[in-house]
Amino acid sequence: MAAHVSAILWAQWRSFANTVRRGGAGTTAAATLAVVVWYGMWCALAAGLFVVTSRPEARGVVERALPGGLLFVLVYWQVAPVLAASLGAAVDLQRLRVYPIPSGALFGIEVALRLSTSVEMLLLLAGAAAGLAWNPAPGGAAAPAAFTVYAAFNLLVAAGVRHQIERWLARTRIREAMVLLLILTAALPQLLVVTGVPGPLRARLAVPASGVWPWAAAARLGLGQGGLWDWLLLAGWTAGAWRFGWWQFERSLRSEAPPEGAARAERRKARSLASHLWRLPGALLPDPLAALVEKELRTLARSPRFRLVFIMGFTFGVIIFLPVILRGGQWGAASPVGAGYLVMVGAYALLLLGDVAFWNIFGFDRAAAQTYFLAPVPLARVLVAKNLATAVFVVLEMAAITVVWAVARLPLTASKVAEAFLVTLVLAVYFMAAGNLASAYYPRPVDPEKSTGAASPMRVRLLLLLLYPLGAVPVLLAYGARYAFDSEGAFYGVLGFAAALGAAVYWAALDSALARLNRQRDAFLSLLARSEGPLVSG
Amino acid sequence: MSEATPAIRVENLRKFYGDKAAVDGLTLTVPRGCFFGFLGPNGAGKTTTIRMLTGLTLPSSGTIELLGLRMPEQELEIKRRIGLVPDESLLFDRLTGPEFLEFAGRMYGLARTVARERARELLALFELDGQPRKLIAEYSKGMRKRLAMAAALIHRPQLFLLDEPFEGVDAIGARLMKDLLLDQVRQGATIFLTSHVLEVVERLCERVAIIHEGRLVTELATGELRESASTLEEVFVRLVGGVRAVEKLDWL
Repeated sequence: MAAHVSAILWAQWRSFANTVRRGGAGTTAAATLAVVVWYGMWCALAAGLFVVTSRPEARGVVERALPGGLLFVLVYWQVAPVLAASLGAAVDLQRLRVYPIPSGALFGIEVALRLSTSVEMLLLLAGAAAGLAWNPAPGGAAAPAAFTVYAAFNLLVAAGVRHQIERWLARTRIREAMVLLLILTAALPQLLVVTGVPGPLRARLAVPASGVWPWAAAARLGLGQGGLWDWLLLAGWTAGAWRFGWWQFERSLRSEAPPEGAARAERRKARSLASHLWRLPGALLPDPLAALVEKELRTLARSPRFRLVFIMGFTFGVIIFLPVILRGGQWGAASPVGAGYLVMVGAYALLLLGDVAFWNIFGFDRAAAQTYFLAPVPLARVLVAKNLATAVFVVLEMAAITVVWAVARLPLTASKVAEAFLVTLVLAVYFMAAGNLASAYYPRPVDPEKSTGAASPMRVRLLLLLLYPLGAVPVLLAYGARYAFDSEGAFYGVLGFAAALGAAVYWAALDSALARLNRQRDAFLSLLARSEGPLVSG
Repeated sequence: MSEATPAIRVENLRKFYGDKAAVDGLTLTVPRGCFFGFLGPNGAGKTTTIRMLTGLTLPSSGTIELLGLRMPEQELEIKRRIGLVPDESLLFDRLTGPEFLEFAGRMYGLARTVARERARELLALFELDGQPRKLIAEYSKGMRKRLAMAAALIHRPQLFLLDEPFEGVDAIGARLMKDLLLDQVRQGATIFLTSHVLEVVERLCERVAIIHEGRLVTELATGELRESASTLEEVFVRLVGGVRAVEKLDWL
């Protein structure tokens, strides 16, 4: 068994070393710096814990805070594997099943790996245990042993949680929901700053040192207030965690995805309604443009990455503006500024969609990119079709935002809704113009199955910092006209001009993008074919 | 474990995904030292069968015996004795070819130095030693198949389970792989092969089984084909209903 474990750890080390080697010196230095800063911070926190817990006069504070602190350790330890499963940063045990290696050895490695995902908590536990043992007050000597058992309990629970979550994440829709949930959670601190922590929640946050919970037992033992019963409790929890971890691990080892055909048949029913919707362009546009638009709508709607940013537009996009809207006063929803929040959310949704729908429009589509050059269809029509599909999604996004706005009972009038739709569409025209150029000049292959990560190249994202404000200038002029002349007519007049200018810019950019694509088609296709994917370099 | 036991014996093997049977009552015996072809159209249940034989998928019902050992009860013993080239890549993309082969050897219980030495020799044999620092992620499809074949050979298994091993491999590589496999059979190993290239199967295999919609539709010796002056392709198309009325497409 030791030989197997040694071989697996060696292979894992080689994979890591190869990744670092390929990353280049700059990437390695940046990664090293990030590791030093991150763990340095936790080392400092652990040292602070040592200082506090080793002082006799701080005993009261430590007694009150330790159970809650140990509960925090448990929660953090379990969140880390969730993130690791989302990002795939773990040994792929499924691939090891073909080898004659006992399940117990694999489970041992898996548990040991959980150690690496929560070094931060180990540092904190070590700091607190050392401080309590150092404290001249009696009873603290048991802290290192108690916290070691508590760490083992956490490792085993984490191994089980990780496997359960990994099986959930294997299902695309659940993976998207979890990524979305994590992103939405990021908005929570802002909301709490504005609304404050609700009273009942605050009361629940106080963790008592009594009870049968593992953190309470570990705290009592660490403080020298526990006895045999607490040791038994902690051992019982750890045994239960081992059983849970092993059960989940075995389920993962035996789990299997059904053949693709079966899964597809299951999904087909759910798609039938959307399929009707995607056929609408065929009723309005001539072929082959309609066929191209239909294909784009289907492709984007089936891409987890696109679905995520689309949903984020009307959820996260609304939530991050809520603290300002709810605050009231001159910036609140009822104020003149507040009336424009719907437009701001729409513009923000465009930013979110940008990475997948504007700036690298062939990135998802690299398998089809060659076909576009082979098919008897002008390339201009392909680009226009892609842009039309994006426009459809922009309209759908705005509709969803409006519905969320109405459900949240935020101020809404028909004129403001119309304004938000029009302004967002005008902005979208400028983004499409810039996006077509970026897509032709800086194509980059993207895995549409991945829900996270950037889709456009770094230099494009840097360029966007300049392009976003620039593209918004004509629309801002419309708002300037409304402010200067206090007239809706002036606003819509200038907005109409901005739309006309946008159309001119769009056609000019389209010509330039097409010229580039036709001139550099070899380089373009070769760039899209890089890395693993459906296109294979000859 | 007796040498008289067949290399593979499956009885009434079934695998269901929901209410769909991927394999439905398969009964099959493959004698030792046999080059055995396992054929079927796409989605017939070949890969699911191989996955069940290797323990990667648990059967819904039925029994599996490999080299006289029962799966899954004696899973580890079986895995030590088999070499697998799966249809999907089970390679580790962030390793280089030499690193992966050394890893595979060690997983099969070879000493590190032995694993390294065999890895070096196999890489040279499969002409994968030109760029030792190249990551597997950067390998072409044919290179990945050749590396998977090398990994399947490194521990000298008694039974090979090969799922489309020649797919994407160039003519030179395929010829090398075929010669190696025939040599292994001469030395007493058993080969269980799936392939869509029926000419190759007909030339290499002594016996052939055809599976369709999860069920065994025939098992025959390739020698019988030669006697009846028909080809494997003709038999295959006749049995799996592959005759299509092309003339119905009058616009074509």
